[in-house]
Amino acid sequence: MDPFPAFRRRFRKEAQMKLTKLAVIALLGLALPLSAEEKGSDTKGKFYFKKSCKTCHVKGGSALELTPLSKTQAQWRKVFDAGRHGKAGEGFSPKFGTPEQIRDIKTFLINHASDSPQPETCGG
Amino acid sequence: MDRRLFMQVAGTGALAAGSIACPRFFRKAEAAPVIPAGIPTTCELCPNKCSVIAELRNGLIHKLNPNPENPKSRGMLCARGNAAIQQVYDPDRLKQPLIRAGARGEGKWRPVSWEEAWDYTARKLSEVKEKHGPQGTLWSSTEGFQEVFFKNLGMAFGSPNILRHPSLCLASVNLAYSMTFGTVPSFDLLNADFVIMAGANRFESIITPDTMDLIGGVMERKAKFIYLDPRFTVTASKADEWHPIRPGTDLAFILAMIHVILKEERQDKAFLEAFTLGYEQLAEHVKPYTPEWAELETGIAAKDIVRIARAFADSAPRAVFYAGRRSSWYTNDFQMRRAQAILNAVVGNWDRQGGMVPNQKVPKGEFMFLPWDDPKAPRVDEVEKNFPLASAKDGVYLPLRENVLKGQPYPVKAWMVYKQDPLHSVPDQGRTLKMIEQMDFVGVIDIAMSDTAWFADVVFPESHYLERTDPIEVLPGIWPAAVLRQQVAKPIHDTKPCLEIVQGLAKRLGLNDFFDYTIEQWVEAEARELPIANGLEHIKKHGVVAFSEPKYGATRNPVNRFVTKSGKIELFSERLQEAGHDPLPKYTPPAAVPEGRFRMVLGRKATITHAGLTHLPWLHEHHKENDVWLNPEPAARLGIRTGDLVEVASQVGRVRLKARVTEEIRPDCIFMLHGFGKKSPWLKRVHGVGAADAVLLETAWDKVSGNAAMHETFVKVAKV
Ligand code: SF4
Repeated sequence: MDPFPAFRRRFRKEAQMKLTKLAVIALLGLALPLSAEEKGSDTKGKFYFKKSCKTCHVKGGSALELTPLSKTQAQWRKVFDAGRHGKAGEGFSPKFGTPEQIRDIKTFLINHASDSPQPETCGG
Repeated sequence: MDRRLFMQVAGTGALAAGSIACPRFFRKAEAAPVIPAGIPTTCELCPNKCSVIAELRNGLIHKLNPNPENPKSRGMLCARGNAAIQQVYDPDRLKQPLIRAGARGEGKWRPVSWEEAWDYTARKLSEVKEKHGPQGTLWSSTEGFQEVFFKNLGMAFGSPNILRHPSLCLASVNLAYSMTFGTVPSFDLLNADFVIMAGANRFESIITPDTMDLIGGVMERKAKFIYLDPRFTVTASKADEWHPIRPGTDLAFILAMIHVILKEERQDKAFLEAFTLGYEQLAEHVKPYTPEWAELETGIAAKDIVRIARAFADSAPRAVFYAGRRSSWYTNDFQMRRAQAILNAVVGNWDRQGGMVPNQKVPKGEFMFLPWDDPKAPRVDEVEKNFPLASAKDGVYLPLRENVLKGQPYPVKAWMVYKQDPLHSVPDQGRTLKMIEQMDFVGVIDIAMSDTAWFADVVFPESHYLERTDPIEVLPGIWPAAVLRQQVAKPIHDTKPCLEIVQGLAKRLGLNDFFDYTIEQWVEAEARELPIANGLEHIKKHGVVAFSEPKYGATRNPVNRFVTKSGKIELFSERLQEAGHDPLPKYTPPAAVPEGRFRMVLGRKATITHAGLTHLPWLHEHHKENDVWLNPEPAARLGIRTGDLVEVASQVGRVRLKARVTEEIRPDCIFMLHGFGKKSPWLKRVHGVGAADAVLLETAWDKVSGNAAMHETFVKVAKV
């Protein structure tokens, strides 16, 4: 049984919508450095972080385990603004998400970083 | 998470029950516990989430037994947990959806189909959205495994106004410890040698495993136990020392303890040096807070404060000043809890056996559902502006109600409520009723006709926890666990789980895509990452996945970054200073009790913690009616004797109930239990019986966290 029916449907839709844009980016070979001022969606960022980043950045995964608490706000900014992602610092290629999705992820991680006013911790 | 720890207890295949049985935590040798036959699930009658095994006979739930496999519940199921059966078979429970037929609160109901209830509610919510935007709707709930679905519906609908319970309960304690340590730790009472509790009546307001560890740990090992409370509670009766402290002065007591410890150089210097920030400022800050000064504030002799401070520091790291849970007391509550956190830090009990320990978690997977757009409007409680350090996800209840009543910064005209009875859980019932009055629509999801449901327009009957399956929940702690609540018996009435109620509404509100899954798919996704083979099968069979061994000291590592602004344990907080608050806890005396009045203090009893429990027969039997505690000295002055009917009046309300004249309370205070004086005739054992504390409580909140301050009300008492 497919456990993610709606999730897949929506992604199919989104994927179609973004197709042209992605094709252009891919053709130009652009990495996606994002300015610190860009304000994305926290809610969606959390989702894309889990969906995209957490496929590798988990305990026992192919990359270092990461949560928003793994870095400070400044460190997260640096990662995104300087495109420091991947072993060779190749940045965020389209396979990790659209520019909007990457911006959302950045927003989520900065908003809930280790030194942020609302870190992602357990509450009660 | 350390899988080895888990494997030590889990073994493979059948769980080695003896190795995780709870008596092993205590000193007494006991036989390996027998795991009762039945269906494992998780209690929902309070936030402790104890593991239960339900025994069925002829398809009916016959008995609930504790499940010894959950180390957090220590093989215990309390009186309330046992009484859950009576919620299922309560002849007066909600049995089908209802739409109001008369005036609000008149009690005229029309039983309707689910389709009609959903259609009607969706229409009303859409009308409000059309007129006022999605922010015109408020979604309030208390904690529960299915709360996530309710909150998600509010968020998917586009409302920023998701309002959770912490600001009526533990927001100030959570914020204070988070601002100091970057997390909210647990207290290792099982292994502590010296415990101070202030107002946390842990023998009566049960918290697992703390209550059991007080008995099996602190008392069994004859550890020192100091208790501060204006009331002589059951906890006071078991303590080595009871100090009936002047209410609202705990902060003075704590500051004086820190003063003594630093002056006599009893602090843990190496720890402070390595892990904390702001020691110099703290040392300077506490200089004026001498024990002699504190004696005048607290009424506790300076020599006792000195003695307790010395013994506390000398017992460290196995010494704790316990945080408590419901911390909604005074307008300086956050600062008092911060001082507790700092006191604990000063003696270096952090992350040590018998000290204060950061929680471990059992990892679990997550079901991925579609994300919605962030809300366009700001929150109506203006939490970001007025309480920038508080949890913006949870909101602040009382400031929210005040804004809604003023219609500021915008009107809120529909209120959806899940599993909560704001007419009892929120101070000043009169103002909550006013808020209901000014709503165009009120919808309630509950299992019983609570007072708030009684005043609603639509009531959705939820299936009882024994009749439904919920998401897997992780219980963080020194002994963490992941638990499953699974269906034990089929619903006996026309009720539905919260998820299905939400889905019915989502479908009609055009939000179907966000809720297009089943509870089975959700649980399966969560179970996939449980740290055990065949996680789903295991948790269905055992009800729990747990670690047996605590892990001490992982954060006492020079490279560890605490989740604070500086990365250190913050004795001095720059972030507080930036937000305009005291960066170190500064003492302000509580308001003096006016002549002829009493300070009203609240508390709980082992059978009565939540307002919704008082009508259950087995619990009601223990306490049929609440009364007001009054010290013999003022009672004599007022000519009041035990059993007399008295009127208790605050500035916002008045109630009548019987008096109990007792030495067990200070002469300047009164006390009454929660959960009586119900307006809903469906709660017949407590309908109009005794009085509701919420009628009297005035509106006040802690300045930093926005947590309700429920000990700031003064009342007059007079014989009727
Ligand atoms: S403490 Fe009692 S009511 Fe609370 S979860 Fe445990 S058994 Fe249930």
